Amino acid sequence: MSYVIAAYGVTALTLGGYALYLLRARAREQKTREPGQETNNG
Amino acid sequence: MNGLGPVASKVRTASGALLGLLLIAYAWTVANAPVDSVQGVIQKILYVHPPLAYGAYLGFVITAICGALYLWKDDERWDRLAIAGAEVGVIFCTLMIVTGPIWAKGTWGKWWSWDPRLTVTLLLWFVYLAYLLLRSFGDGGARTARFAAVYGLVGVALIPLNYFVIEIFGGRGMHPENLERGSLGDGMGLPFLVGNLTLFVAFCWFVLLRWELENLRAASLLRAADPLARAREEIAT
Repeated sequence: MSYVIAAYGVTALTLGGYALYLLRARAREQKTREPGQETNNG
Repeated sequence: MNGLGPVASKVRTASGALLGLLLIAYAWTVANAPVDSVQGVIQKILYVHPPLAYGAYLGFVITAICGALYLWKDDERWDRLAIAGAEVGVIFCTLMIVTGPIWAKGTWGKWWSWDPRLTVTLLLWFVYLAYLLLRSFGDGGARTARFAAVYGLVGVALIPLNYFVIEIFGGRGMHPENLERGSLGDGMGLPFLVGNLTLFVAFCWFVLLRWELENLRAASLLRAADPLARAREEIAT
């Protein structure tokens, strides 16, 4: 059972961490944009 | 300039919402999947290891196709999507290389074997890791992008080799043969399907988010490099 938990755990943590990294990087890029431009609707 | 077009933006939002529901279904189906009579509970790694492999393949195919489109159309958006495909593909490939040895330790008794499938998988991972290094340390210009496009097109040839290497070596390696229709036991088809669907939707969400980030970064660089455009924006505001 510990092998199964390790396999799913490492996958969940890695993908979750990557998602957080991408969302934070996108928020940072949007924050540095000049005012008056169209905002992202995604 | 928006990070994504309206269609891609809607697809990303929809895939994010769908992913939440799929994750619940995924956890439920894996927890309730039957225990394999030969391998025991460790066989449940099947519901994450092959879907990660398919995600890695898809990421590298996107890199090759978008690289070809960039060479043909000379449109940087395709080059930026190629980068997104490679990065998400490498993440999925890394997880495939990590989950495989965890499964191997529990069934073969050792973490690694220089089996043909494992060796070609490691080679595939190195090839696309080198692609990402090229993009990180290159000058970021058109010359690097063109070279990376050709590199991605050549590298994708490893995917059919990776998939069929077991048949090429006549099944003499330790890695099990590729899954075929009917090769899963009773009750194992649904968790495998849900696992594939969940990781496919997650893959789409990651690629679109990464593409958006790359587009936003490119727009920032363009504004920083063009004082006239910046001045026009300041006047407009």
